[in-house]
Amino acid sequence: MPKEAAFPRSSRAGNSRGLLWLAAALWLLPSEALAQKNSPDIPVVSTVTAIQNARIVPSPGQVIESGTVVFRDGVITAVGRRVDIPYDAHVIDGGDSLSVYAGFIDALSHVGIPEPRNQGQPESVPDRSNPPFERAGITPEASARTALDPEDDAVEAMRHAGFTTALVAPRGRMLPGQATLALLAGTDASEMILQGAEPMFFQFEGAQGVYPGTPMGVMSKFRQLYREADRRRKLEAMYSEDPSGLSKPPFDPVHEAFFPVIAGNRSVAIWADDVLEIHRAMTLQEELGFSMMLFGLEGGFDTLSNVAASGVPVALTLDLPDKPRWAAKVEADSLQQILDAYDDETRTATFRDVEAEQRNLESRQLWSRARYVGMAAAYHDAGVPFAFASMGVDAKDIHANLREMIGEGLSSDAALAALTTNAASMLGLSDRMGAIRTGMMANLVVTHGSLFNEDTKITMTFVNGHMFEAPASTGRTGSNSPSDR
Amino acid sequence: MRNSIMKYTFSTTLLALLVVVSLGQAAFAQDVLIRNATVLTVTNGTLEDTDVLITDGVIADIGTDLRAPRGVDVIDATGKFVMPGIIDAHAHIALSSINEGSSPVTAEVSMEDVVNPYHLGIYRASAGGVTVSHTMHGSANVIGGQNETIKHRWGATDPDAIRFEGAPRTIKFALGENPTRVHGRRASGGSGAIVPATRMGVEQVLRSAFENGKRYMEAWDAYNAEAATNPRAVPPVWNERLEVMADILRGEILVHCHSYRADEIVMLTRVLKDYGVDKITFQHANEAFKVAPELAAYGAHASVFADWWSYKFEVYYSTAYNAAILTRNGVITSVNSDSGELNRHLYHEAAKSQRYGGLTDDEALALITINPAIQLGIQDRVGSIEIGKDGDVAIFEGHPLSVYTIPVLTYVDGVKVFDRENDPDDVRVDVDPTAEVGMYEGQITGKDHIHSHEEVVDMLHFFQSVADTHIH
Amino acid sequence: MKRFMTFVLAVGFLIQPFEVQAQEQDEKARQGTYAITNARIETVANGTIERGTVVIEGDRIIAVGENVAIPDGARVIDGSGLHVYPGMIDSGTNLGLTEIGSVAETNDTNEIGDITPHMEALTAVNPNAVAIPVTRVSGVTTVVAEPTGGLLPGTAAVINLFGYTAEQMSAGSKMVIVQFPQEPSGNRPRWQQSGPDRRQERYKDALAKLDEVFDRAELYDRIMTAYAADPSGKEQPVYAPEMDALRPVLSGDVALMVKVDAADDILKAIDWVQKRELPNVVFSGVNEGWRVADKLAEAGIPTLVGPVLATPTRSSDRYDRAYANAGLMAEAGVKVAIRSGESENVRNLPFNAGFAATYGLGKEAALRAVTLAPAEMFGIADDYGSIEVGKKANLFVSDGDPFETSTNILALFIDGFNVPIESRHIDLYEEFLNRDEGRLQPVEILPADN
Repeated sequence: MPKEAAFPRSSRAGNSRGLLWLAAALWLLPSEALAQKNSPDIPVVSTVTAIQNARIVPSPGQVIESGTVVFRDGVITAVGRRVDIPYDAHVIDGGDSLSVYAGFIDALSHVGIPEPRNQGQPESVPDRSNPPFERAGITPEASARTALDPEDDAVEAMRHAGFTTALVAPRGRMLPGQATLALLAGTDASEMILQGAEPMFFQFEGAQGVYPGTPMGVMSKFRQLYREADRRRKLEAMYSEDPSGLSKPPFDPVHEAFFPVIAGNRSVAIWADDVLEIHRAMTLQEELGFSMMLFGLEGGFDTLSNVAASGVPVALTLDLPDKPRWAAKVEADSLQQILDAYDDETRTATFRDVEAEQRNLESRQLWSRARYVGMAAAYHDAGVPFAFASMGVDAKDIHANLREMIGEGLSSDAALAALTTNAASMLGLSDRMGAIRTGMMANLVVTHGSLFNEDTKITMTFVNGHMFEAPASTGRTGSNSPSDR
Repeated sequence: MRNSIMKYTFSTTLLALLVVVSLGQAAFAQDVLIRNATVLTVTNGTLEDTDVLITDGVIADIGTDLRAPRGVDVIDATGKFVMPGIIDAHAHIALSSINEGSSPVTAEVSMEDVVNPYHLGIYRASAGGVTVSHTMHGSANVIGGQNETIKHRWGATDPDAIRFEGAPRTIKFALGENPTRVHGRRASGGSGAIVPATRMGVEQVLRSAFENGKRYMEAWDAYNAEAATNPRAVPPVWNERLEVMADILRGEILVHCHSYRADEIVMLTRVLKDYGVDKITFQHANEAFKVAPELAAYGAHASVFADWWSYKFEVYYSTAYNAAILTRNGVITSVNSDSGELNRHLYHEAAKSQRYGGLTDDEALALITINPAIQLGIQDRVGSIEIGKDGDVAIFEGHPLSVYTIPVLTYVDGVKVFDRENDPDDVRVDVDPTAEVGMYEGQITGKDHIHSHEEVVDMLHFFQSVADTHIH
Repeated sequence: MKRFMTFVLAVGFLIQPFEVQAQEQDEKARQGTYAITNARIETVANGTIERGTVVIEGDRIIAVGENVAIPDGARVIDGSGLHVYPGMIDSGTNLGLTEIGSVAETNDTNEIGDITPHMEALTAVNPNAVAIPVTRVSGVTTVVAEPTGGLLPGTAAVINLFGYTAEQMSAGSKMVIVQFPQEPSGNRPRWQQSGPDRRQERYKDALAKLDEVFDRAELYDRIMTAYAADPSGKEQPVYAPEMDALRPVLSGDVALMVKVDAADDILKAIDWVQKRELPNVVFSGVNEGWRVADKLAEAGIPTLVGPVLATPTRSSDRYDRAYANAGLMAEAGVKVAIRSGESENVRNLPFNAGFAATYGLGKEAALRAVTLAPAEMFGIADDYGSIEVGKKANLFVSDGDPFETSTNILALFIDGFNVPIESRHIDLYEEFLNRDEGRLQPVEILPADN
């Protein structure tokens, strides 16, 4: 299938091929370049890095004060308070003001897949009730791997937000293809790709102007594909065992892409944009019995018990509803007063009551937003482990949103676990990343100050041992803080 | 960040208060004793000064001076009227999507997949005594999707919790202008027109869907028979759409067909007869009155508007006396809303049959209770006040067929879902955290025919694939 | 209906010795001398006469009261047990301007252009629209027919629902419509989200444009007044029919009907009409009038409220807000008339009034809101709106409260014409109720190949 059409590269990437080559040349310097800034004209003299005198958080809840972490060729070789620093190490001295955390893992996003530009009118088809698969947004055989582009702006932005790894889903509609695990650094797709889970990505996104165009059509189409694939899989097995007397089983890559899902060897990663989509995903899963991972879940506080009971692995969206415009103009303590003034006995009988009504409605709205902000805390309190997914979120909003969630009851440890250990475990990466331990990949986040404080600045991110320093202006996690420390 | 509300904590009491507001009625099946009411049973006449006892969500007793079981909620309904919860046989509430308008046959899609329990239309209908809605696929396709029968359990947040458990499956068909315009006359998405563009084409789309369904059913029957002895039997190609057509042929799905003109009504009856399908309710059916004897002979039902007409050509030769003519000719007839406005006063819509045709009180009430229950196959559960039926009742101040009546209390399974005196003004279960507070949203009025509205929104959805989250 | 049929026969029978006995039913609407006797008469202007007589001669009511002499030669309608009401007036419809909603060729409500006050509804009202008889048999004898679309959609006409020409139908009043700009609120619908949000910009432009139109109208009026006073030696003024339509609005001879719904917009509209010192203004729609009822009362602006049968304007609103709106406004001292906003179903006006009555307005005020109140607002109260001597004979006879669905309208007078209770809906009923009377074989659906 013409993948160019399905995953058009950003034209910027296409037009700046020269720059790409330059970048590639820098990256492909001898491996000594690891852990040092990629300056092309200075020879690299060390392949090992040590960060010393730092507050190291190997995993949520654990702290090594004034510790040292050493890594060589992208692998952590030592962590602890008393660690010998190799003679050939490039040493970064934390001066007891740096903290080191495991690199964050984005449980689902489109990072590295540039948004297609100039999406014109979709191509017309002779029979819109029965369009070709690709036109209907059904390309489950495709893979994010072929569309990965390290030059996508989001890669750098996410790195600066502390993310070193992501499960990257292809863009598209109902079944855009398989997601892939990727490091958020590299000169080309192959350097980014991590072997591991490649779930089939599915969303309730109807096609434009052709069948299936609505969420219910998408539901039906998914059932159709799944059940027909199940039939074909059985036919295929029968045929390969003994073809005699049997017609050749029908073949197409779309149905074939379902075979490993049906066999239980591939899970389905479903993006649930709202509470109703959570129910839809669970309905399909219960009917068809595939292995499912659920992402997004905005507004999912009302489905908490269903999700908990199902045991489905979940990653919550890092997005939060915008603050209502009126609230942005109100002073903090006045907001609290509005909240406290809520009165469910209030009635709007006549024109005399409309002022009071307005205040009361504002109070309800604040409360409603707090439910969204507090959702992660509620999941945590209910004992549902979760990761975080950045899909649809601007990287620069992530830390502010996390701080809001923490303000609404999510513990810092739980937030960190969602970003690291939980995500690693959900994506089958626990043996490689999510914590700072000897033998693990050198994916690290280095901050000035405690991770979720408003004034904290992410100063460096290490991806597979490669260092990325935050640009002076954008490193601060509190995106609009004016002063520098 | 500075004004973030994350810094605020919610007092436990306030939180509890708000939870009560939004989820107060989430628990279902309760007990209530309604005392000294005028009970309009619909199937058994009017009982004066009568008590109705609902326990465990079911009508347990009807009589005078009933003993109140311990802990039961007692309502003094002296001077008030109690009628069965109203049933709206044609609604589009509580759905997050309505029309999969991309194909003339979409039997496989189901409103079951897009039920939205947060939709305010549920409460607003309950405030008019409606306890059950048949919430339907749109009318763009000759064979549209399957519908869902819901109970108005306002406050529930799980779509499954508002389904009318055990209600038979139903499916939407549509004849006439809508499918011919959407598919045959509109070049859409850059692609051309497809059959049907005429009422002739509509018939052939129907016949071909039924024939394919029949052959599909036979192919599977043959396979299943063969598979018993031959492990190498090859199953037929799986087809979700034809699975549903086969279920219609097996009599497992009731057909509810959007239709207007007499000729097309007779045409569908003919097609159904050829395929042995006998459970059919003609929806809207503005010209059903012209073929009332044919409908009666076939045993077909009709679910009509009280007075809508003239909004399109195929309803120009209508009469508001439709329900009366059909009733007098022995056709089981209901009056429906098909509107987020009319569904709030179906008692009034039914009452119009007294001006337009002089139906008796019981006949008029049957149009919105037992008759739609029959059409939806739920008459054993709801539609009248009888011992053993569900505790779905509505209490009115003044006779419900009077224009001066006021619905005051509505119960679903014995649970109060509407209380005029005590409900807060703002009953939303979900409050948009970003929207402007107190935003002017316009109105749905009695002249907003859902057809134009649904066509606008769903066709936009269809062409641009926008999510139609808040249709009504 | 059976009751009605019996009554028609009875009336035919009662209109006896004075007419040809053989005539079964008077199919044509006829003026003449009529006396409706022994009826309960709701005069609206002067209370209820429990048992009285109304005498009609030509197009006028010539006598009303308990003891009224029946003129010689009058056709007598025995109103024993029956009621007489003034014909109802619907203060906002598209009746007569549209025949079939979805068929563009049959819709004459919306002329091209934003500023078209000179488009006269009366010109395009089809006297033979099928919906007209369908409407009047409900007791609605008079409606406001409104053009739609644009900032100044046109001039609405007050028409009676019987007549063969515009002249015969006109009730002698018209109003220029302003669709007051609605401030955009909320998020744009998703399908409109491409490109920058220009709604606020467009809104401001519309407000400015409205002022500009009236500034120019004032200038034009000055020019025309001066020219009319003494044309000698002056250049002929420009031809501006739009402005000609606005001149009587500036003088107050023609009312300005400002269509406005949201609370904030209503407040802005009040400011606007006051700032412009417009002498004769009514507001129409006014969905959220209850929210600013005190301001409307203070401004003394009459309102044409409705439709009453509508959902609340906000999702946080109490469910019955639209039903209660008129009552809440009246309670605060606002003058209210009721409109259905309908075209083919203007026959639901009495039910709109009934719901308003039930939800706070009260029966008496609701009746007034569909009779005398709008007649006063439209400046036609000398002729319409109540049963009084000297007024036009627009009235009907019913077997009960006309707001009740169980009530039948039994006789109807418009401009003194005894208009038969006939419409397509009734005709179809009569044809199809017992369609197969006389058929020998039972009906059957045959298989396709038969």
